[in-house]
Amino acid sequence: MKVNFNLNNKKVSIDVDPMKRLLDILREDFGLLGTKEGCGEGECGACTVLMDGKPVTSCLVNACHLEGKTILTVEAIAKEPIGKLLIDCFDETNAVQCGFCFPGFLVSSYYFLISDGEQNLDKIKEALSGNICRCTGYQKIFESVMLACKKKQLYSHRFSLIHPVR
Amino acid sequence: MEFIKPNTLKELLEIISTITGEKYYFAGGTDINIQIKKDIIRNGKIIFINHIKELNGIKEDENYILIGSTTTFRQIIESKLLNDKLPFFQKSLNNFASPLIQSQATIGGNIANGSPTADVVPLLLVLDGKLELISNSMNRTINLKDFFTGYKKFILKPDEIIKSIFIPQNAENGFDTFYEKIGSRKALSIAKIAVAGLKKVVNNEINEIKIAVGSLNEYPRRLDLIEDYLLNKDLKDIDFKKIRIILKEEITPITDLRSDKDYRFEVCLNLIKKFLLKPDSG
Ligand SMILES: Cc1cc2nc3c(=O)[nH]c(=O)nc-3n(C[C@H](O)[C@H](O)[C@H](O)COP(=O)(O)OP(=O)(O)OC[C@H]3O[C@@H](n4cnc5c(N)ncnc54)[C@H](O)[C@@H]3O)c2cc1C
Ligand code: FES
Ligand code: FES
Repeated sequence: MKVNFNLNNKKVSIDVDPMKRLLDILREDFGLLGTKEGCGEGECGACTVLMDGKPVTSCLVNACHLEGKTILTVEAIAKEPIGKLLIDCFDETNAVQCGFCFPGFLVSSYYFLISDGEQNLDKIKEALSGNICRCTGYQKIFESVMLACKKKQLYSHRFSLIHPVR
Repeated sequence: MEFIKPNTLKELLEIISTITGEKYYFAGGTDINIQIKKDIIRNGKIIFINHIKELNGIKEDENYILIGSTTTFRQIIESKLLNDKLPFFQKSLNNFASPLIQSQATIGGNIANGSPTADVVPLLLVLDGKLELISNSMNRTINLKDFFTGYKKFILKPDEIIKSIFIPQNAENGFDTFYEKIGSRKALSIAKIAVAGLKKVVNNEINEIKIAVGSLNEYPRRLDLIEDYLLNKDLKDIDFKKIRIILKEEITPITDLRSDKDYRFEVCLNLIKKFLLKPDSG
Protein backbone atom coordinates (compact mmCIF):
# COMPACT_ATOMS: atom_id res chain seq x y z
CA MET A 1 0.00 0.00 0.00
CA LYS A 2 1.31 3.42 -0.95
CA VAL A 3 0.87 6.12 1.69
CA ASN A 4 1.61 9.82 1.59
CA PHE A 5 1.89 11.79 4.78
CA ASN A 6 3.75 14.63 6.38
CA LEU A 7 6.59 13.60 8.67
CA ASN A 8 8.35 16.22 10.78
CA ASN A 9 7.34 18.98 8.34
CA LYS A 10 8.36 17.10 5.19
CA LYS A 11 6.12 15.38 2.67
CA VAL A 12 6.95 11.70 2.49
CA SER A 13 5.65 8.75 0.56
CA ILE A 14 6.27 5.05 1.16
CA ASP A 15 5.09 1.70 -0.07
CA VAL A 16 4.44 -0.58 2.92
CA ASP A 17 2.26 -3.32 4.33
CA PRO A 18 -1.05 -1.63 5.35
CA MET A 19 -0.75 -3.06 8.87
CA LYS A 20 2.84 -1.98 9.44
CA ARG A 21 2.92 -0.03 12.69
CA LEU A 22 3.81 3.65 12.59
CA LEU A 23 6.37 2.85 15.29
CA ASP A 24 8.19 0.46 12.93
CA ILE A 25 7.81 2.80 9.95
CA LEU A 26 9.51 5.56 11.92
CA ARG A 27 12.33 3.37 13.19
CA GLU A 28 12.94 1.13 10.18
CA ASP A 29 11.93 3.18 7.14
CA PHE A 30 13.01 6.60 8.39
CA GLY A 31 15.74 5.81 10.93
CA LEU A 32 13.99 7.88 13.60
CA LEU A 33 15.05 5.95 16.68
CA GLY A 34 13.82 8.42 19.31
CA THR A 35 10.39 6.78 19.36
CA LYS A 36 10.72 3.69 21.58
CA GLU A 37 8.86 0.43 21.89
CA GLY A 38 7.97 -0.58 25.43
CA CYS A 39 4.85 -2.71 25.66
CA GLY A 40 3.66 -2.62 22.05
CA GLU A 41 0.08 -2.62 23.38
CA GLY A 42 -0.84 0.99 24.02
CA GLU A 43 -0.17 0.84 27.76
CA CYS A 44 3.21 2.51 28.34
CA GLY A 45 3.42 5.54 26.04
CA ALA A 46 7.12 5.07 25.15
CA CYS A 47 6.08 5.25 21.49
CA THR A 48 4.07 8.51 21.73
CA VAL A 49 4.04 10.84 18.71
CA LEU A 50 1.67 13.59 17.59
CA MET A 51 -0.72 12.72 14.77
CA ASP A 52 -2.59 15.71 13.37
CA GLY A 53 -1.50 17.53 16.50
CA LYS A 54 -2.89 14.97 18.99
CA PRO A 55 -0.82 12.50 21.02
CA VAL A 56 -1.15 8.83 20.00
CA THR A 57 0.67 5.59 20.73
CA SER A 58 2.47 4.84 17.46
CA CYS A 59 2.43 1.10 18.25
CA LEU A 60 -1.35 1.13 17.65
CA VAL A 61 -1.33 3.34 14.54
CA ASN A 62 -0.93 1.49 11.25
CA ALA A 63 0.14 2.48 7.76
CA CYS A 64 -3.53 2.38 6.70
CA HIS A 65 -4.24 5.25 9.11
CA LEU A 66 -1.55 7.53 7.73
CA GLU A 67 -2.76 8.84 4.38
CA GLY A 68 -2.79 12.65 4.49
CA LYS A 69 -1.87 12.78 8.17
CA THR A 70 0.75 14.99 9.84
CA ILE A 71 3.17 13.22 12.16
CA LEU A 72 5.51 14.98 14.55
CA THR A 73 8.06 12.83 16.38
CA VAL A 74 10.23 13.54 19.38
CA GLU A 75 13.12 14.44 17.05
CA ALA A 76 11.20 17.43 15.68
CA ILE A 77 9.67 18.37 19.01
CA ALA A 78 13.09 18.46 20.69
CA LYS A 79 14.07 21.24 18.27
CA GLU A 80 10.97 23.37 18.94
CA PRO A 81 11.31 26.17 21.51
CA ILE A 82 8.78 24.52 23.83
CA GLY A 83 10.50 21.18 23.38
CA LYS A 84 13.83 22.74 24.31
CA LEU A 85 12.27 24.42 27.32
CA LEU A 86 10.91 21.07 28.51
CA ILE A 87 14.25 19.34 28.05
CA ASP A 88 15.94 22.07 30.12
CA CYS A 89 13.33 21.68 32.87
CA PHE A 90 13.66 17.88 32.94
CA ASP A 91 17.39 18.47 33.23
CA GLU A 92 17.08 21.08 35.94
CA THR A 93 14.90 18.88 38.18
CA ASN A 94 16.87 15.69 37.45
CA ALA A 95 13.70 14.02 36.27
CA VAL A 96 15.30 11.42 34.02
CA GLN A 97 16.99 8.23 35.14
CA CYS A 98 17.41 5.47 32.54
CA GLY A 99 15.73 7.69 29.95
CA PHE A 100 13.75 5.04 28.10
CA CYS A 101 10.38 6.64 28.86
CA PHE A 102 11.61 10.16 28.28
CA PRO A 103 10.80 10.61 24.55
CA GLY A 104 7.19 9.63 25.26
CA PHE A 105 6.94 11.94 28.27
CA LEU A 106 8.44 14.74 26.22
CA VAL A 107 5.78 14.38 23.50
CA SER A 108 2.89 14.18 26.00
CA SER A 109 4.24 17.14 28.00
CA TYR A 110 4.76 19.11 24.82
CA TYR A 111 1.13 18.52 23.85
CA PHE A 112 0.04 19.66 27.31
CA LEU A 113 2.11 22.84 27.09
CA ILE A 114 0.80 23.87 23.68
CA SER A 115 -2.84 22.87 24.26
CA ASP A 116 -3.30 24.04 27.87
CA GLY A 117 -0.12 24.82 29.80
CA GLU A 118 -1.79 25.71 33.08
CA GLN A 119 0.53 25.18 36.04
CA ASN A 120 -1.88 22.71 37.61
CA LEU A 121 -0.66 19.43 39.04
CA ASP A 122 -3.93 17.51 38.56
CA LYS A 123 -4.14 18.51 34.92
CA ILE A 124 -0.51 17.54 34.36
CA LYS A 125 -1.03 14.13 35.97
CA GLU A 126 -4.06 13.58 33.76
CA ALA A 127 -2.17 14.65 30.63
CA LEU A 128 0.69 12.25 31.41
CA SER A 129 -1.52 9.35 32.54
CA GLY A 130 -0.83 7.38 29.35
CA ASN A 131 2.92 7.32 30.00
CA ILE A 132 4.66 4.91 32.35
CA CYS A 133 8.07 5.35 33.99
CA ARG A 134 9.68 2.39 35.73
CA CYS A 135 12.46 4.37 37.40
CA THR A 136 11.55 7.73 38.82
CA GLY A 137 8.29 7.52 40.72
CA TYR A 138 6.89 10.39 38.64
CA GLN A 139 7.21 13.23 41.19
CA LYS A 140 10.22 14.79 39.49
CA ILE A 141 8.60 14.43 36.09
CA PHE A 142 5.52 16.31 37.31
CA GLU A 143 7.79 18.91 38.91
CA SER A 144 9.63 19.52 35.67
CA VAL A 145 6.42 19.98 33.70
CA MET A 146 5.13 22.35 36.40
CA LEU A 147 8.36 24.29 36.06
CA ALA A 148 8.05 24.37 32.27
CA CYS A 149 4.51 25.76 32.55
CA LYS A 150 5.77 28.48 34.87
CA LYS A 151 8.68 29.40 32.61
CA LYS A 152 6.50 29.38 29.55
CA GLN A 153 4.22 31.91 31.20
CA LEU A 154 7.11 34.05 32.38
CA TYR A 155 8.72 34.16 28.97
CA SER A 156 5.56 33.91 26.91
CA HIS A 157 6.75 36.70 24.60
CA ARG A 158 9.56 34.40 23.46
CA PHE A 159 7.31 31.48 22.63
CA SER A 160 4.20 33.09 21.29
CA LEU A 161 5.98 34.33 18.18
CA ILE A 162 7.47 31.02 17.27
CA HIS A 163 4.75 28.66 18.29
CA PRO A 164 1.25 30.11 18.44
CA VAL A 165 -0.54 28.53 21.39
CA ARG A 166 -3.77 26.87 20.38
CA MET B 1 -5.28 -12.18 6.19
CA GLU B 2 -6.52 -9.94 3.42
CA PHE B 3 -6.86 -6.16 3.61
CA ILE B 4 -9.41 -4.05 1.81
CA LYS B 5 -9.58 -0.27 1.67
CA PRO B 6 -12.85 0.95 0.13
CA ASN B 7 -12.89 4.55 -1.08
CA THR B 8 -16.43 5.52 -0.16
CA LEU B 9 -19.29 4.37 2.07
CA LYS B 10 -21.12 3.07 -1.00
CA GLU B 11 -18.11 1.02 -2.07
CA LEU B 12 -17.67 -0.27 1.49
CA LEU B 13 -21.27 -1.50 1.65
CA GLU B 14 -21.03 -3.10 -1.80
CA ILE B 15 -17.85 -4.91 -0.86
CA ILE B 16 -19.13 -6.28 2.44
CA SER B 17 -22.35 -7.50 0.82
CA THR B 18 -20.23 -9.92 -1.22
CA ILE B 19 -17.80 -11.10 1.46
CA THR B 20 -18.51 -14.40 3.13
CA GLY B 21 -16.70 -15.63 6.22
CA GLU B 22 -14.83 -13.89 8.96
CA LYS B 23 -14.32 -10.14 8.61
CA TYR B 24 -13.33 -7.20 10.77
CA TYR B 25 -13.84 -3.48 10.40
CA PHE B 26 -10.66 -1.68 11.23
CA ALA B 27 -11.54 1.70 12.77
CA GLY B 28 -9.08 2.95 15.41
CA GLY B 29 -7.59 -0.52 15.61
CA THR B 30 -6.91 -0.29 19.37
CA ASP B 31 -8.74 -3.58 19.94
CA ILE B 32 -8.00 -5.33 16.63
CA ASN B 33 -4.24 -4.63 16.71
CA ILE B 34 -3.99 -6.30 20.08
CA GLN B 35 -6.20 -9.22 19.06
CA ILE B 36 -3.91 -9.81 16.07
CA LYS B 37 -0.83 -9.55 18.26
CA LYS B 38 -2.26 -12.09 20.71
CA ASP B 39 -3.31 -14.42 17.90
CA ILE B 40 -7.00 -14.04 18.76
CA ILE B 41 -7.54 -12.91 15.16
CA ARG B 42 -5.59 -15.14 12.77
CA ASN B 43 -7.41 -14.98 9.49
CA GLY B 44 -10.30 -13.34 7.74
CA LYS B 45 -10.61 -10.07 5.93
CA ILE B 46 -9.73 -6.73 7.46
CA ILE B 47 -11.65 -3.81 6.02
CA PHE B 48 -10.39 -0.30 6.73
CA ILE B 49 -13.18 2.14 7.55
CA ASN B 50 -11.46 4.92 9.48
CA HIS B 51 -11.00 7.20 6.45
CA ILE B 52 -14.65 7.10 5.35
CA LYS B 53 -16.02 10.60 5.86
CA GLU B 54 -19.71 9.71 6.19
CA LEU B 55 -18.93 7.68 9.29
CA ASN B 56 -17.21 10.44 11.25
CA GLY B 57 -18.33 13.50 13.18
CA ILE B 58 -20.82 14.87 15.69
CA LYS B 59 -23.92 16.80 14.69
CA GLU B 60 -27.52 17.36 15.73
CA ASP B 61 -30.97 17.50 14.25
CA GLU B 62 -34.24 18.52 15.86
CA ASN B 63 -34.60 15.34 17.91
CA TYR B 64 -31.17 13.76 18.24
CA ILE B 65 -27.46 14.22 18.74
CA LEU B 66 -25.79 12.05 16.08
CA ILE B 67 -22.31 10.63 16.55
CA GLY B 68 -20.66 8.88 13.59
CA SER B 69 -19.28 5.43 14.40
CA THR B 70 -15.62 6.30 13.72
CA THR B 71 -15.75 9.41 15.90
CA THR B 72 -12.88 9.17 18.39
CA PHE B 73 -13.18 9.64 22.14
CA ARG B 74 -10.99 12.72 21.78
CA GLN B 75 -13.50 14.24 19.37
CA ILE B 76 -16.23 13.44 21.91
CA ILE B 77 -14.35 14.93 24.85
CA GLU B 78 -13.46 18.10 22.90
CA SER B 79 -16.89 18.60 21.29
CA LYS B 80 -18.60 21.92 21.99
CA LEU B 81 -21.94 20.53 20.96
CA LEU B 82 -21.71 17.70 23.51
CA ASN B 83 -20.52 20.12 26.15
CA ASP B 84 -23.75 22.09 25.56
CA LYS B 85 -26.18 19.23 25.11
CA LEU B 86 -24.83 16.13 26.85
CA PRO B 87 -22.33 17.33 29.48
CA PHE B 88 -22.81 14.26 31.71
CA PHE B 89 -22.07 11.90 28.82
CA GLN B 90 -19.02 13.93 27.84
CA LYS B 91 -17.63 14.32 31.36
CA SER B 92 -18.06 10.63 32.11
CA LEU B 93 -15.74 9.77 29.22
CA ASN B 94 -12.94 12.10 30.34
CA ASN B 95 -11.12 9.23 31.99
CA PHE B 96 -11.57 6.79 29.11
CA ALA B 97 -8.35 4.77 28.71
CA SER B 98 -5.59 7.41 28.50
CA PRO B 99 -5.19 10.66 26.58
CA LEU B 100 -3.15 8.72 24.00
CA ILE B 101 -5.74 6.01 23.39
CA GLN B 102 -8.51 8.63 23.31
CA SER B 103 -7.02 10.10 20.13
CA GLN B 104 -7.34 6.77 18.35
CA ALA B 105 -10.19 4.69 19.86
CA THR B 106 -13.64 5.10 18.28
CA ILE B 107 -17.14 4.92 19.75
CA GLY B 108 -18.34 2.39 17.15
CA GLY B 109 -15.34 0.17 17.90
CA ASN B 110 -16.08 0.32 21.61
CA ILE B 111 -19.66 -0.88 21.06
CA ALA B 112 -18.92 -3.46 18.36
CA ASN B 113 -15.89 -4.99 20.02
CA GLY B 114 -18.60 -6.33 22.31
CA SER B 115 -16.62 -6.38 25.53
CA PRO B 116 -18.75 -6.53 28.71
CA THR B 117 -16.44 -3.79 30.00
CA ALA B 118 -16.95 -1.30 27.15
CA ASP B 119 -17.16 2.05 28.94
CA VAL B 120 -19.45 3.87 26.57
CA VAL B 121 -22.24 1.29 26.57
CA PRO B 122 -23.76 1.69 30.08
CA LEU B 123 -23.78 5.46 29.51
CA LEU B 124 -25.55 5.15 26.18
CA LEU B 125 -28.02 2.70 27.73
CA VAL B 126 -29.23 5.14 30.37
CA LEU B 127 -29.41 7.89 27.75
CA ASP B 128 -31.69 5.67 25.62
CA GLY B 129 -29.15 5.61 22.80
CA LYS B 130 -30.00 4.16 19.40
CA LEU B 131 -27.85 2.71 16.64
CA GLU B 132 -28.25 3.39 12.96
CA LEU B 133 -27.27 0.23 11.10
CA ILE B 134 -26.61 0.32 7.40
CA SER B 135 -26.07 -2.21 4.62
CA ASN B 136 -26.17 -2.16 0.86
CA SER B 137 -29.86 -3.01 0.85
CA MET B 138 -31.23 -1.34 3.96
CA ASN B 139 -30.96 1.16 6.72
CA ARG B 140 -32.55 0.65 10.14
CA THR B 141 -32.46 2.23 13.57
CA ILE B 142 -32.62 0.09 16.68
CA ASN B 143 -32.42 0.68 20.42
CA LEU B 144 -28.92 0.00 21.71
CA LYS B 145 -30.38 -2.26 24.39
CA ASP B 146 -31.64 -4.60 21.66
CA PHE B 147 -28.24 -4.75 19.94
CA PHE B 148 -26.57 -7.34 22.16
CA THR B 149 -27.66 -10.97 22.19
CA GLY B 150 -24.82 -12.64 24.10
CA TYR B 151 -21.11 -12.45 24.87
CA LYS B 152 -19.68 -10.60 21.84
CA LYS B 153 -22.88 -11.41 19.92
CA PHE B 154 -25.11 -8.84 18.23
CA ILE B 155 -28.10 -8.62 15.93
CA LEU B 156 -25.82 -7.14 13.25
CA LYS B 157 -26.37 -8.91 9.90
CA PRO B 158 -23.24 -10.10 8.04
CA ASP B 159 -23.43 -7.20 5.60
CA GLU B 160 -24.30 -4.51 8.13
CA ILE B 161 -22.17 -1.96 9.97
CA ILE B 162 -22.91 0.64 12.61
CA LYS B 163 -23.24 3.98 10.86
CA SER B 164 -23.97 6.22 13.80
CA ILE B 165 -25.17 6.53 17.35
CA PHE B 166 -28.26 8.61 18.17
CA ILE B 167 -28.92 10.16 21.56
CA PRO B 168 -32.21 12.01 22.18
CA GLN B 169 -31.72 15.78 22.51
CA ASN B 170 -33.15 16.04 26.00
CA ALA B 171 -31.75 12.74 27.28
CA GLU B 172 -30.03 14.35 30.27
CA ASN B 173 -32.40 17.23 30.91
CA GLY B 174 -33.67 17.50 34.46
CA PHE B 175 -32.04 14.25 35.56
CA ASP B 176 -29.79 13.67 38.49
CA THR B 177 -26.84 11.83 36.93
CA PHE B 178 -24.43 9.20 38.19
CA TYR B 179 -21.50 7.32 36.66
CA GLU B 180 -18.87 5.36 38.46
CA LYS B 181 -16.31 2.96 37.10
CA ILE B 182 -14.27 0.83 39.48
CA GLY B 183 -10.89 -0.31 38.18
CA SER B 184 -7.54 -1.13 39.71
CA ARG B 185 -6.17 2.34 39.07
CA LYS B 186 -7.30 5.56 37.49
CA ALA B 187 -5.62 5.59 34.11
CA LEU B 188 -5.74 2.76 31.61
CA SER B 189 -7.79 0.45 33.73
CA ILE B 190 -10.41 -1.92 32.48
CA ALA B 191 -13.62 -1.60 34.47
CA LYS B 192 -14.33 -4.28 37.05
CA ILE B 193 -17.72 -2.79 37.69
CA ALA B 194 -19.42 0.22 36.11
CA VAL B 195 -22.76 1.74 37.08
CA ALA B 196 -24.54 4.55 35.22
CA GLY B 197 -27.78 6.05 36.43
CA LEU B 198 -30.30 8.82 35.80
CA LYS B 199 -33.09 9.70 38.20
CA LYS B 200 -35.81 12.28 38.55
CA VAL B 201 -37.05 12.72 42.10
CA VAL B 202 -40.02 14.98 42.86
CA ASN B 203 -41.17 15.47 46.47
CA ASN B 204 -39.01 12.56 47.50
CA GLU B 205 -40.69 10.25 45.01
CA ILE B 206 -38.82 8.61 42.13
CA ASN B 207 -40.60 9.75 38.97
CA GLU B 208 -38.11 8.37 36.47
CA ILE B 209 -35.23 5.97 36.91
CA LYS B 210 -32.66 4.43 34.57
CA ILE B 211 -29.80 2.22 35.72
CA ALA B 212 -27.29 0.36 33.57
CA VAL B 213 -24.30 -1.76 34.56
CA GLY B 214 -21.14 -2.87 32.78
CA SER B 215 -18.77 -5.78 33.43
CA LEU B 216 -21.40 -7.70 35.38
CA ASN B 217 -23.06 -9.74 32.63
CA GLU B 218 -22.17 -11.05 29.20
CA TYR B 219 -22.85 -7.56 27.94
CA PRO B 220 -23.74 -4.23 29.59
CA ARG B 221 -27.43 -3.89 30.28
CA ARG B 222 -30.23 -1.92 31.90
CA LEU B 223 -31.51 -3.24 35.22
CA ASP B 224 -35.19 -3.46 34.24
CA LEU B 225 -36.35 -5.31 37.37
CA ILE B 226 -34.64 -2.90 39.76
CA GLU B 227 -36.04 0.02 37.78
CA ASP B 228 -39.57 -1.46 38.04
CA TYR B 229 -39.17 -1.88 41.78
CA LEU B 230 -37.97 1.69 42.26
CA LEU B 231 -40.38 3.55 40.01
CA ASN B 232 -42.85 5.74 41.93
CA LYS B 233 -41.31 4.76 45.26
CA ASP B 234 -40.69 7.20 48.02
CA LEU B 235 -36.94 7.38 48.68
CA LYS B 236 -37.65 6.56 52.35
CA ASP B 237 -39.41 3.33 51.41
CA ILE B 238 -36.56 1.80 49.43
CA ASP B 239 -35.76 -1.60 50.91
CA PHE B 240 -32.15 -2.43 50.10
CA LYS B 241 -32.63 -6.04 51.20
CA LYS B 242 -35.22 -6.33 48.48
CA ILE B 243 -32.85 -4.70 45.98
CA ARG B 244 -30.19 -7.24 46.92
CA ILE B 245 -32.60 -10.07 46.09
CA ILE B 246 -33.65 -8.57 42.76
CA LEU B 247 -30.05 -7.80 41.82
CA LYS B 248 -29.14 -11.47 42.36
CA GLU B 249 -31.59 -12.30 39.58
CA GLU B 250 -30.51 -9.52 37.32
CA ILE B 251 -26.74 -9.71 37.25
CA THR B 252 -24.43 -12.70 36.85
CA PRO B 253 -20.97 -11.45 37.77
CA ILE B 254 -18.01 -13.63 36.93
CA THR B 255 -14.77 -14.36 38.70
CA ASP B 256 -11.75 -13.59 36.56
CA LEU B 257 -8.18 -12.39 36.88
CA ARG B 258 -9.37 -8.94 37.85
CA SER B 259 -11.96 -9.74 40.53
CA ASP B 260 -14.03 -12.24 42.37
CA LYS B 261 -17.77 -12.48 41.68
CA ASP B 262 -18.93 -11.83 45.25
CA TYR B 263 -16.80 -8.71 45.38
CA ARG B 264 -18.31 -7.54 42.11
CA PHE B 265 -21.83 -8.13 43.41
CA GLU B 266 -21.29 -6.22 46.66
CA VAL B 267 -19.61 -3.28 44.94
CA CYS B 268 -22.40 -3.07 42.38
CA LEU B 269 -24.98 -3.03 45.16
CA ASN B 270 -23.06 -0.31 46.99
CA LEU B 271 -22.81 1.83 43.87
CA ILE B 272 -26.56 1.54 43.30
CA LYS B 273 -27.10 2.59 46.92
CA LYS B 274 -24.75 5.52 46.49
CA PHE B 275 -26.62 6.62 43.38
CA LEU B 276 -30.05 6.38 45.02
CA LEU B 277 -29.03 8.15 48.20
CA LYS B 278 -27.00 10.82 46.42
CA PRO B 279 -28.62 14.18 47.08
CA ASP B 280 -30.35 15.65 44.08
CA SER B 281 -27.91 17.97 42.34
CA GLY B 282 -30.63 19.83 40.44
C1 LIG C 1 -4.19 0.64 26.42
C2 LIG C 1 -5.66 0.47 26.17
C3 LIG C 1 -6.58 0.98 27.09
C4 LIG C 1 -7.94 0.82 26.88
N1 LIG C 1 -8.81 1.35 27.81
C5 LIG C 1 -10.14 1.21 27.64
C6 LIG C 1 -11.06 1.78 28.59
O1 LIG C 1 -10.69 2.44 29.57
N2 LIG C 1 -12.38 1.56 28.38
C7 LIG C 1 -12.85 0.86 27.32
O2 LIG C 1 -14.06 0.71 27.18
N3 LIG C 1 -12.01 0.35 26.39
C8 LIG C 1 -10.67 0.50 26.52
N4 LIG C 1 -9.81 -0.04 25.59
C9 LIG C 1 -10.33 -0.80 24.44
C10 LIG C 1 -10.48 -0.02 23.12
O3 LIG C 1 -9.61 1.08 23.06
C11 LIG C 1 -11.91 0.46 22.89
O4 LIG C 1 -12.79 -0.63 22.89
C12 LIG C 1 -12.06 1.25 21.57
O5 LIG C 1 -13.19 2.08 21.65
C13 LIG C 1 -12.16 0.39 20.33
O6 LIG C 1 -12.31 1.23 19.20
P1 LIG C 1 -11.39 1.08 17.89
O7 LIG C 1 -11.87 2.03 16.89
O8 LIG C 1 -9.97 1.11 18.24
O9 LIG C 1 -11.82 -0.42 17.50
P2 LIG C 1 -11.22 -1.48 16.40
O10 LIG C 1 -10.08 -2.16 17.04
O11 LIG C 1 -10.93 -0.72 15.14
O12 LIG C 1 -12.46 -2.39 16.23
C14 LIG C 1 -12.99 -3.14 17.31
C15 LIG C 1 -14.13 -4.05 16.85
O13 LIG C 1 -15.26 -3.30 16.46
C16 LIG C 1 -15.70 -3.66 15.15
N5 LIG C 1 -16.16 -2.41 14.54
C17 LIG C 1 -15.48 -1.21 14.53
N6 LIG C 1 -16.23 -0.27 13.93
C18 LIG C 1 -17.40 -0.85 13.55
C19 LIG C 1 -18.58 -0.39 12.87
N7 LIG C 1 -18.71 0.89 12.48
N8 LIG C 1 -19.58 -1.28 12.66
C20 LIG C 1 -19.47 -2.56 13.06
N9 LIG C 1 -18.39 -3.06 13.69
C21 LIG C 1 -17.36 -2.22 13.93
C22 LIG C 1 -14.52 -4.30 14.49
O14 LIG C 1 -14.91 -5.26 13.53
C23 LIG C 1 -13.78 -4.93 15.65
O15 LIG C 1 -14.27 -6.23 15.92
C24 LIG C 1 -8.42 0.12 25.74
C25 LIG C 1 -7.51 -0.36 24.80
C26 LIG C 1 -6.14 -0.20 25.00
C27 LIG C 1 -5.17 -0.72 23.98
S1 FES D 1 5.02 0.70 23.03
FE1 FES D 1 3.32 1.80 22.42
S2 FES D 1 2.33 2.22 24.28
FE2 FES D 1 3.92 0.90 24.90
S1 FES E 1 13.53 7.02 33.56
FE1 FES E 1 13.62 4.89 33.31
S2 FES E 1 11.62 4.41 32.67
FE2 FES E 1 11.46 6.47 33.14
